[in-house]
Amino acid sequence: MNSVQEILSAFYDSAIFVYGLTLIVVYGVLAVLSIIAIRRYLNATRPSQLENLMSSPLAPGISILAPAYNEGLTIIANVRSLLTLNYPKYEIVLINDGSTDDSLEQLINEFDMVAVDFAYHEKIRSKPVRAIYKSRNQAYSNLLVIDKVNGKSKADAVNAGINAAAFDYFVCTDVDCVLHKDTLLELIKPVMQEGGKRVIAIGATLRIANSSEFDEGVMTRMRPPRALLPRFQEVEYIRSFVLGKMGWSAINCVPNVSGGLGLFDREIVIKSGGYDHKSFGEDMELLTRMCGFCEDNKIPYSVRYIPKTLCWTEGPSSLKVFGRQRTRWARGLAQLMYAHKSIFLHPRYGRLGLVVFPYNFFFELLAPVIEASGIIIYLWLGLTGNVNWPYAILLLLFVYTYAIMITTLSILWDQLSFHYYKSVKEVLSLLIMPFLEFLLYHPLITFYSLKGYLFFLTNRRSSWGNMQRQGFRKAKTTT
Amino acid sequence: METTLSDILQDIRSIYYYAPLAIKVAIIFIIVAVSATVLAYLVMLRSRYRNYRQQRRMARMLPKIDELLMNEIIANPNIPHDVAPSKVALDLEPFDELPLHKRWGREMLTERIIHYRNNVSGTAGDLLRNLYLQLDLDKDAMRKLKSRHWNKKVEALNEFTLMDMPIADVTILPLANSRNRELRAAARQAYIKLSKNEPFKFFDSVTDPLLPWDQVELYRIITTTTDIAIPNFARWITYSSNKSVVSFCMKLVVHYNQLAAVPAIIKLLENRDHTLRAEAIEALGRLKIAEVEDRLVHLYTSQPLFCQIAILKALGRIRSGRHIDFLRNEFLHSTDFDLRKAAARAIVKNEIMAREVIDELLATTTGENLLILKHCMNPLIKY
Amino acid sequence: MGKILLVEDDEVMPKIIARILPPPEYEVDIAVNGKEAIQKLEANHYQYDLVITDIMMPYANGFEILSKVKSHEREKPIPVIIVSNAGNEDMIMEGFKLGVDDFLKKPIIPAELVIRVKRLLMRNK
Repeated sequence: MNSVQEILSAFYDSAIFVYGLTLIVVYGVLAVLSIIAIRRYLNATRPSQLENLMSSPLAPGISILAPAYNEGLTIIANVRSLLTLNYPKYEIVLINDGSTDDSLEQLINEFDMVAVDFAYHEKIRSKPVRAIYKSRNQAYSNLLVIDKVNGKSKADAVNAGINAAAFDYFVCTDVDCVLHKDTLLELIKPVMQEGGKRVIAIGATLRIANSSEFDEGVMTRMRPPRALLPRFQEVEYIRSFVLGKMGWSAINCVPNVSGGLGLFDREIVIKSGGYDHKSFGEDMELLTRMCGFCEDNKIPYSVRYIPKTLCWTEGPSSLKVFGRQRTRWARGLAQLMYAHKSIFLHPRYGRLGLVVFPYNFFFELLAPVIEASGIIIYLWLGLTGNVNWPYAILLLLFVYTYAIMITTLSILWDQLSFHYYKSVKEVLSLLIMPFLEFLLYHPLITFYSLKGYLFFLTNRRSSWGNMQRQGFRKAKTTT
Repeated sequence: METTLSDILQDIRSIYYYAPLAIKVAIIFIIVAVSATVLAYLVMLRSRYRNYRQQRRMARMLPKIDELLMNEIIANPNIPHDVAPSKVALDLEPFDELPLHKRWGREMLTERIIHYRNNVSGTAGDLLRNLYLQLDLDKDAMRKLKSRHWNKKVEALNEFTLMDMPIADVTILPLANSRNRELRAAARQAYIKLSKNEPFKFFDSVTDPLLPWDQVELYRIITTTTDIAIPNFARWITYSSNKSVVSFCMKLVVHYNQLAAVPAIIKLLENRDHTLRAEAIEALGRLKIAEVEDRLVHLYTSQPLFCQIAILKALGRIRSGRHIDFLRNEFLHSTDFDLRKAAARAIVKNEIMAREVIDELLATTTGENLLILKHCMNPLIKY
Repeated sequence: MGKILLVEDDEVMPKIIARILPPPEYEVDIAVNGKEAIQKLEANHYQYDLVITDIMMPYANGFEILSKVKSHEREKPIPVIIVSNAGNEDMIMEGFKLGVDDFLKKPIIPAELVIRVKRLLMRNK
């Protein structure tokens, strides 16, 4: 009995210590890389630039793809706000994914739409398209509405949109996301500034919309969420985007462009086969395939992020919906790692195989497992009286303070660059979150992740359609 | 018993000394993390305060600046109409109420003047520039231009470009070949806008690709600067070994409808680079050069897909109506969807001459082809 | 006397236009976004002699306002001038398809705007 414990202790003294230290070093490096990338972005940003692009005939066309399922309450306001984005050459492709409410009727009435004979070419398979509508009013000439049979997933809806899109680039968003008016200008700029490599995807910071004020789909006042759960998510998003994604962007190792907002190279997407409607994390899954495609075909590519917040999304405010969202993300991650296991540590896949995949495997996929098992073993050791309590508490304190530091730094980077929020009080309300996160929010995420892995392993099918439908409204933007 | 501070430190030191490596590392990291967090708070507070101060200053200053610019420049009835706006001696006294002895005051006024010049040009624009000079606002940018930091230099170059301030070629040209991309791009824009001699000179020497973004900014500068001498772009289309320069020059040829450069573009149809060839085809189409149509149709079969689409589009733009049979054939028999769609669109664009063919196709085709044709004929569908 | 609705989300432009088209000859009503513009049009029962609008603005863009103004039943449609820095060919074409009367690119020459405004107001007298 004693020897088993000794072995376990030894294991925790070495392997887990190395694991933890690596994770900590990775976060430290990300913090440094991200501030470098943010500085680079800010240095290359001047107010006149976007104006220049807006009036330029050389601006590349962009299609905005917005899938909607039963969004009748907000659909008109959201389409209106998409119609007023600043960009010289773009179209909006709204995909009505077999809504059972009156979304389509509302669109037809509001924008004077008629069904047209549209040469729809199915480059990527999707559920059948019933009809395609255009407006009779010239003022809405860049709006296109696709009415299709419900495919029970966002992936299927977006695929239909990709088929109908006219331009070389498309922006994928959710119809309930609110976009910044310069979104298209901001997203295409780094694509046009990249020399040598082909930018296949680019994303921007997402934030939680819950307590911000909106008027007919236009953001009027940005505010941190008041309720605790969404506020945790806001802080998590800042850390994940401003520090995480920006850091990875600096070394061209971005693992995922969020489904909430991203600009993609349409040709590469089509050649990679489009979104997978069976995936639970379709955005990350697609990006992995796109990167794999480029590696396979020796196309020098890059995936980028910009630190500016361009998209606000409603974060789940009830534990139930939140849990479903996170379970789904975790399941998606497990599914992805399993399906593309051949990429893992495969030198042919360059940074995808040697950096992105190993990092995601060890520090995203395994982290909840290691944490949970660590807690159980510690409890056991504690009950059998084998814990050196002062040391254990020191180690815990170490993890706690470090986590606080990293999150605080990400809020700092965000504040230094953009001075978001009106008052210091609002910033402080975010700054207290890292202190609570470790105790309240983090255990939740660990729990839901494990639940997601369990679902993946048992391949649970029950309530598939139901969950997908619910999920389509709330749980679709992975960070 | 008394415990002094040094005793406590001694205790900590001994705990640290006897602890295993993991604990040592942990203790160090705890200290680092706590101090970094505290530092982050302080930096954040300072940055918020500075931002707040700047906002307050703007709220106070901008109405004053606007009032002055309106009364003294934009709508000043006392400004003589018979003097060139750049020579008018402006009454600077009212501007004394602005804190121009402070750098932030000067910066704010300069920014506002630039903002105004983005909205008005002509006499008013020239008067604003005159004011900028008479108030010596250019001195700050002059200093920035000499700064060691590249981003300061970029700021200065942009300010000069926007304010139309001449700079000596010797100052800009070295920057136009700088190793820093941002600086290089800014210097090139400034050079085109401000150089008195040969604004397009750097086209000869540029070896790195002009990125699409650089092209947007250069294009804007070139096409909006009124007193610029436009050279014959054939020179670079023929001789430049830099593909991006060739491609950019073709866009300028199209913009200026520079027919003298057309032979140089036609030569590019033999170029080995597919992208360049497609761009040449597109340019010829936009220029509506009907003489090259036969050549394009002849080339068609040997081209990759995107060049073929470019040819079909060009035939649609030229609209001579002489190759409708060819288009009809492509539309009916091509296996590729995009080719059929491009062909259909070209036929529809030739509508005046192709009326009969369109009617015939409408009556005889079925299925997808009919759909493509109707798609292209529908005025509600733009793309 | 001409009553003009100016729709513009930049803060400087309305100030300039209000100055170069001064009362009592002109009455310039300013809307800072598309929504406000439509509200003002409706509240005033389209009793404007001229509309000057930018293209890209929050809530409703210039084309939408243009189409609203032009589709409003009136003896003579209200003339519309677009003043915008977004002036690529497609946009100008789109404006003319919707019946815009004049298209000015920023930066404008103030005197030119005044002349065009006068001409359009004369035409509709």
